[in-house]
Amino acid sequence: MEKRLIKKDALVGIAKKMAEELTVWAPVKKEDNVLFTPLTKDAEPFFAYLNSKNAPKQVFFPHTETLMKYTRTPKGMVFSAEENKAGKTVLFGVRPCDAHSFVLLDMLFDQEKYKDQYYITKRNNTTVITLACAEPPYATCFCTSVDGEPVSADGADIVLTDIGSEYLAEFITPKGEKLAKYFGETKADAVAETKKKEIAEKAKKAIKSKIPAHEVKPILDNNFEHPFWATIHGKCLACGTCTYMCPTCHCFDISDEAKASDGVRIRSWDSCMFPLFTKETSGHNPRISQKERWRQRVMHKFKYYVDNFNAIACVGCGRCVMSCPVNIDIRKIIEDISKL
Amino acid sequence: MQNPYIPYPVEVTKIITEVDTKDIKTFRLKFVNPEDEEKFKYIPGQFGELSIYGKGESPIGIASSPTQRGYIEFTVQKAGVVTSALHEMEEGTLMGVRGPMGNSWPIKFLEGKNIVIVGGGFAFTTLRSLINYMIHENNRKRFGKITVIYGARNPGLLIYKDELIEWQKRDDLNINVTVDKGDATWKGREGFVPTVCKEVAPSAENAVTVICGPPIMIRFTLPVFFDLGFKKENIITSLEMRMKCGIGKCGRCNVGSKYVCKDGPVFSLAELDKLTKEY
Repeated sequence: MEKRLIKKDALVGIAKKMAEELTVWAPVKKEDNVLFTPLTKDAEPFFAYLNSKNAPKQVFFPHTETLMKYTRTPKGMVFSAEENKAGKTVLFGVRPCDAHSFVLLDMLFDQEKYKDQYYITKRNNTTVITLACAEPPYATCFCTSVDGEPVSADGADIVLTDIGSEYLAEFITPKGEKLAKYFGETKADAVAETKKKEIAEKAKKAIKSKIPAHEVKPILDNNFEHPFWATIHGKCLACGTCTYMCPTCHCFDISDEAKASDGVRIRSWDSCMFPLFTKETSGHNPRISQKERWRQRVMHKFKYYVDNFNAIACVGCGRCVMSCPVNIDIRKIIEDISKL
Repeated sequence: MQNPYIPYPVEVTKIITEVDTKDIKTFRLKFVNPEDEEKFKYIPGQFGELSIYGKGESPIGIASSPTQRGYIEFTVQKAGVVTSALHEMEEGTLMGVRGPMGNSWPIKFLEGKNIVIVGGGFAFTTLRSLINYMIHENNRKRFGKITVIYGARNPGLLIYKDELIEWQKRDDLNINVTVDKGDATWKGREGFVPTVCKEVAPSAENAVTVICGPPIMIRFTLPVFFDLGFKKENIITSLEMRMKCGIGKCGRCNVGSKYVCKDGPVFSLAELDKLTKEY
């Protein structure tokens, strides 16, 4: 594997240099938030960040995306497929938890039978550069409980690790190696590698928040009906923020936006927290209250995804914990379930 | 590879109003590009997403049989935005269809067995597909005795009326049509579907029943079949859920770990017993 050392202050320059030739999404400071944003002359990359407010899944799975266009003719509407315009893209400086989410989303969107070409094309055209967490960003981080690590190559084409005075750049995949030319010529030595291993160990131990994510699977298998489910949702506002912030939530709606002469069919992020999500035309709703919706959210991440893909659909980023306006904490829920 | 979100363009070539209340119509669709018919190769029990640009999509069971070439048919009740727009359409209009989606009636499993079809009201569409498939001259000998029990609230609400008459003329098909309450002109059977099932009393010997209908009908029909000795493995039905993508990605039609759109809609009672009751 190709490994190089780069100066700490060179990182911004590397990202900007790439942005001259490629579409580069990087963390950018916007008012009080750091958001993944395509770099432009006015958008300066900011790598001294904890984690981005928004999950970078939006690069492959945008909030709203056009599936096709149509125009009105005398005989009715005629459609044309939306051309997939995804060019070569770099996702620069993703935290390992978020890079892990791409691996989980691939399982869903890139299945053998039904391939989601909108997602897959963008994913294939994108090189993921992970910026490892030498120090865990937040007290709410729990990646080590859900098969992640603060220094990890999972889902990454290139991994950057802060080893003190420099970054160690590891080129994990051939896609990553293609970008090696941007990273200078200084080969990494064994000292740098040892240092990285030490930092990785230390960072792992520094993750203090832990949840029994694997332990709850057999409990969930047997407790679809349990009084516990009536105890979570009382304060839930059904705002959907948890699902919109989540790097692995993938549920979407498909709707048409029509004008007199033409229109588009779009898909938009949707949320299992919303009453209308499962409401049928007849009025029947299989998930009749917020209790059933919360059960679905927990089950989907910690049981159904495991049943279907043998993976937990949570990366431990803590965004839902930090964003929930009424302080519902998934860590507490999983903890409580483990004691049922 | 076919983009599963893009519909095949189709032309509405025939519209049949099925019921007196005029809110159930059958739409015959012809593929604008003839090669698409081959791509839309389906099995009875599957469904399609009917696509009306500007309105959206609606998942509807396929009512025609793959043995009928040159077109596909969907029988649709006017209910929401898309189906109401569909009901306003005229012959010659262009629209779209995605699919086929879902598993299907378990044709291989049904082969060599006696088949009992039980339908109620408007939920007879994919059963009609199955009947027409099984009685086709190329397929009939692969199935044993075929018994059909079909009921509606009143004679005016029976769908596929002409076909029911044609089927009754056949000697390789035992057709029992019933209505909850007849009218002045009705000469046929009166009685609820579960009662008729009890009267017809099909043997459970080497038999499978395929049931589709309103929940209340299913609830009262199942005990009849249990009493007749049918095992849960041999009772097949089809679920409905709100759907969007139809290919197991948009995340709303799951019952437990199974997506009704992709892993269903057809399940045996034995399979349903293993799932949660969230439907």
